[in-house]
Amino acid sequence: MAPVSKKRRMIVFDRNGKRQKDEPSESDEDSNSHKKVKSETREQRLARGSQHAPSSFEEDLGRLTEEVNELKTGGQEQHQKWSRPDLPESWDPKEENLIFQQIECDEGTFDRKTTIQLFGVTEAGHSVLLHVTDFYHYLYVAAPIGFTRQHLAGFRTFLENKLQTGLEPAIACVQILLRQNLYGYTGNQLSPYIKIDVTDPKLIPRLRNLIEHGDANYENMWPAGDGGTKTYDALQFVMRFMVDTKISGMSWVEVPAGEYHLVDRREKLSSCQIEAKVHVKDLIAHPSEGEYQKIAPLRILSFDIECAGRKGIFPEAHHDPVIQIANMVTRYGESKPFIKNVFTLGTCASIVNTQVLQYVSEGKMLLGWSEFLRQADPDVIIGYNIANFDFPYLLDRAKHLKLVGFPYWTRLKNVKSEPKDSSFSSKQMGNRDTKATNTDGRLQLDLLQLVQRDHQLRSYTLNSVSAHFLGEQKEDVHHSMITELHNGTADSRRRLAVYCLKDAYLPQRLMDKLMCLINYTEMARVTGVPFNYLLSRGQQIKFISQLYRKAKEQSLVVPNLPPQPSEDPYAGATVIDPKKGYYDVPIATLDFASLYPSIMQAHNLCYTTLVRPETCERLGLQKDIDYEITPTGDRFVKAHRRKGMVPLILEALLGARKKAKADLKNATDPFEKAVLNGRQLALKISANSVYGITGATVGKLPCLEIASSVTGYGRGMIMQTKAEVESRYTIANGYTHDAMVIYGDTDSIMVKFGPKDLPTAMELGKEAAEFVSQKFPTPIKLEFEKVYFPYLLINKKRYAGLYWTNTEKHDKMDSKGIETVRRDNCMLVQVCIETVLRKLLIDQDVEGAQTYVKDLISDLLQNRIDMSQLVITKALTKNDYTAKQAHVELAERMRKRDAGSAPTLGDRVAYVIVKGAGGAKNYEKSEDPIFVLENSVPIDTKYYLENQLAKPLGRIFEPVITDAGVKKLLNGDHTRTISVSAPMVGGLMKFAKKTETCMGCKIPLTKKEEVGGAVCSDCKSRFGELYQKTVTKVSELEVKFGRLWTQCQRCQGSLHCEVICSSRDCPIFYMRMKAKKDVVDAGKDLRRFDVDISW
Amino acid sequence: MLEARLEQAGVLKKDLVQDCNFDCNDSGIALQAMDNSHVALVSMLLKAEGFSPYRLDRNVALGINLTSLTKILRCAQNEDILTLKTEDTPDTLSLVFEGAENDRISEYEIKLMDIDQEHLGIPETEYAAAISMPSAEFQRICRDLSQLSESVAIEASKEGVKFSCSGDIGSGAVTLRQHNNVDKPELSTKIELTEPVALTFSLKYLVNFCKASALSSTVTLSLSNEVPLLVEYAMGSGFVRFYLAPKIGEEE
Repeated sequence: MAPVSKKRRMIVFDRNGKRQKDEPSESDEDSNSHKKVKSETREQRLARGSQHAPSSFEEDLGRLTEEVNELKTGGQEQHQKWSRPDLPESWDPKEENLIFQQIECDEGTFDRKTTIQLFGVTEAGHSVLLHVTDFYHYLYVAAPIGFTRQHLAGFRTFLENKLQTGLEPAIACVQILLRQNLYGYTGNQLSPYIKIDVTDPKLIPRLRNLIEHGDANYENMWPAGDGGTKTYDALQFVMRFMVDTKISGMSWVEVPAGEYHLVDRREKLSSCQIEAKVHVKDLIAHPSEGEYQKIAPLRILSFDIECAGRKGIFPEAHHDPVIQIANMVTRYGESKPFIKNVFTLGTCASIVNTQVLQYVSEGKMLLGWSEFLRQADPDVIIGYNIANFDFPYLLDRAKHLKLVGFPYWTRLKNVKSEPKDSSFSSKQMGNRDTKATNTDGRLQLDLLQLVQRDHQLRSYTLNSVSAHFLGEQKEDVHHSMITELHNGTADSRRRLAVYCLKDAYLPQRLMDKLMCLINYTEMARVTGVPFNYLLSRGQQIKFISQLYRKAKEQSLVVPNLPPQPSEDPYAGATVIDPKKGYYDVPIATLDFASLYPSIMQAHNLCYTTLVRPETCERLGLQKDIDYEITPTGDRFVKAHRRKGMVPLILEALLGARKKAKADLKNATDPFEKAVLNGRQLALKISANSVYGITGATVGKLPCLEIASSVTGYGRGMIMQTKAEVESRYTIANGYTHDAMVIYGDTDSIMVKFGPKDLPTAMELGKEAAEFVSQKFPTPIKLEFEKVYFPYLLINKKRYAGLYWTNTEKHDKMDSKGIETVRRDNCMLVQVCIETVLRKLLIDQDVEGAQTYVKDLISDLLQNRIDMSQLVITKALTKNDYTAKQAHVELAERMRKRDAGSAPTLGDRVAYVIVKGAGGAKNYEKSEDPIFVLENSVPIDTKYYLENQLAKPLGRIFEPVITDAGVKKLLNGDHTRTISVSAPMVGGLMKFAKKTETCMGCKIPLTKKEEVGGAVCSDCKSRFGELYQKTVTKVSELEVKFGRLWTQCQRCQGSLHCEVICSSRDCPIFYMRMKAKKDVVDAGKDLRRFDVDISW
Repeated sequence: MLEARLEQAGVLKKDLVQDCNFDCNDSGIALQAMDNSHVALVSMLLKAEGFSPYRLDRNVALGINLTSLTKILRCAQNEDILTLKTEDTPDTLSLVFEGAENDRISEYEIKLMDIDQEHLGIPETEYAAAISMPSAEFQRICRDLSQLSESVAIEASKEGVKFSCSGDIGSGAVTLRQHNNVDKPELSTKIELTEPVALTFSLKYLVNFCKASALSSTVTLSLSNEVPLLVEYAMGSGFVRFYLAPKIGEEE
């Protein structure tokens, strides 16, 4: 948090926020009864506050005084206050229904039987673990011809023998049920399938193997083929449970009073306040609607650790101690943390509003923290890069120090948290190596992973992410600095603690701002998968979960298909060849709303409606009446024969989205609004991902017939739309101009109707959208969304324009595929292109744009561009690049220089291109920006001009000015003034001696009387002028440096300390470093005049 | 106003440097620049005596893009007489080529650049060894050895000077002994030595230096331990000097 800016803010230390009207039970440890009473009233007030509105300022003040008292009386009672509200004594399992929001669903054992464990929180904030018993995992297999009920018992014994589990029976039940295969239309006939239930879900893979390999061919009833026998419904146990009980992720469940049994205190497996057992049939799942779309008061812990590393080496758990841990605990729905503390090794001066827990030894501190974690009992643990750094580091460190009681962070009493290596790879996000630490019963949300997943940024450091989303910088202390601060005084450790606290607070702020918890909760509810799957799994599981849910309703079974990657890709979307140029008339854009989902709905494309030509003949189906042939030649039956399941799912998703959007309009409560907005987003994403899954050949449910038909229809529709528009809006038909489609891509077309004024163009656009929509089956809809005016069409997927949705004022400047949005170039290019576009499009000032570019280039060549503008970042995604690349080479070199600060896999590497030896490759010329600054290595300005700026500028200016003009822009007179700085590194620099040159005419001053002076004898007349110039320059630089320095002091929150920030993402940092150097250099120049004066 | 007439339009090609200042003063025209990676330094002096006439009102620095200059010099023939002319505060430099045999006069102008560059020099030092040899010989050695390796070790001792290298495909060594060619003194090899020296240098740069071989028939290599190598091509009225930092250990 920003402790400085919020000095007056109060943090409450009590953790006993009672929400019950019941009297609290006196606890044994409570020795100070007077105090207890006092905190009681406060807690009740707090509870009220949290349920209704955020606490008022008076309450804050009130708490502040109490807080001070508390600090004075010492912290003996603090442990007690960390914990959750006690269960009211009147609570009786016989009379009260157990209703809670389940947050995690896991496989477990209870009483030596496999169970499902549901962790959750009640509305009053009590933690719950519910053991669900008697749920059996199962699979289906198609019954062979002649298999009847008489065979069931025999088959069961047969399987039992095959599985050989010993005394315990392996098969719980075998029965024949009428089901239908998901794939293919076979005339709506159900066929017999055998459902096999097993007692232990771990037996399912074995059983599946046996059957699929033909080793369980009972009485050889199955035809002996080479492929064995297909099994159906390959779903994981937990998902199976959730599908069958209709529980979705983060939903509310209920068990009526009397149906559940509390687990005896001695037999409890967990630290949850309520631990109960229930039979699966007594479990009620509430759909997340109406009352049950609320979210329980989840306790969210945000934390950050600091380690004392050694110089130049990134902290390693075996050597470097953990010195501070900062924590913030917030209840969901409250805006301020109710626990805010920092664990420090060694003394630490007190911090406003924060409890400082000081420890003499590291081991005690870690154990103290572990105890705190169990006491505070968070439901969600968040932080920045906790999954890959904080968690494993703490665990490794504790192991190294042999702290036995430390790694118990789970809700299960005897399950340790352990870090495991895992790697995640998906098409959407590429490969990532991560560590996973189990915290059974507690959710984890690593903000770094989340931001990396959902947002494309230049840099993913906490600093730049918070600057991007919160508009707030923090000081970035380099890890080598941390040790210094730690080894200092109580005050320097306080400084570190404040920094650490901020690092713990920012993830919390980020989470609130991005509404991750809400959006992910809604996504879990909509798609039905557990919360933690959303971060650890890809898109597919979400669709599978929905598909199985629908399939169960329709008695469909899903075959277990081995993945068969196919080489030949099907044809994708179409792009109408762009008619490049600069358009100064309005260009209307017509979009198909949710094109792919609506195609699937309109043409009833589904696994279940796919029909083979043979089947058509066998069932006597008629073309265009009973079935439809898609542009790719596949056949799908029409909705009156069978309504497809995918269209049903899509209908449900889109319908729910419409409803959520309508509710959103009516909603007034900000939390409700947030939830609904999260939901409609989740619904949209889910609907759009369906198409992708049918096309993913490595996935579980590939169906290329669907995917290629969808794109086939899409292509046809774009072309048809083009034809319709161009044939209707012609002069021949009474319009003023012939309309022309200048560009089209996937689901949109750009039309030049001709008229020069916006309102007419918009009118025509609306009319055209309605006209074309009629030509297509519902729910396909062409929408008129916006007008670009003016519009610069550069190439396929590259264009820019002013975006208008109303006739009064443009909404924004929109650009696609132009360097403003791409990340693999430097800020300079981005800023330059954006300014040029702005000048061209908004001001319509071509001359001004050119002047701007010329000035910029001349600044660049004279080294006047700030270095932060030149930094290029690229992600280091894998180690073995075949071609040498700048960032990979640099990472390698940095590793040699300082293994600690060098970027690792997955990091984004920042670099600048510096001048290299003649003929050196670009990858040899990359250098770390900090190194460049420190050693004033000259920047390869030519590279930036020719490789970075030239092409995009050329592309933009080409349609606007002549070729010669573009050339002049890049090679004109303004490129003839350059500046080259001398570096402090390089082979010869050790030997070279600098000769001063005259400030007036640049002639080397070699004559005896001139050496060390400022001007040559010829320029002596200009002495006064030049002196004046230099003095002005020095004072200007001093002022600039002073301002930058204060800026950084403001950012770090104290004007009395030295600035220690070394953030690589902060433009001010580079400016400050450069200004510092410039002041020193200019000062030297100034002193040269003193020499001259003496003669 | 600068007016300088050069009897021979010597070809100046340098791959090392892109842009640099030509400093013109009473004693002549001097150039000093370092390559981009700051491993080598080139210093050239065309003495005023070399020009006839040489007139200079005040010292000027001419910022020239060498790529452009080379383009223009290519238009001249080796025997042409070159005249350089410029203003006191110049924007352009004009070059006039006069054919030696015929009356062809060609005039060119080159746009000057304003180069803000620090002026660096290598202090004069006493070298432990000075070897002078035919420049063609040196060029050949460098070219031959550069086929094998990226760097060459130069060992100077009383017996002679040994250039050796080893690379992936093998190794090679060339030894030159002191000898005097009475008929053609420019072909003799002379070694002046105060103490034995052994140093390693990058061949890439040496090969580049050798492009100046056309300027002079002899070359002088001056070496001292842990000091840059000096390669000097003396011309009638001036010189071209190259300095190259020795390679230390494995790294450059």
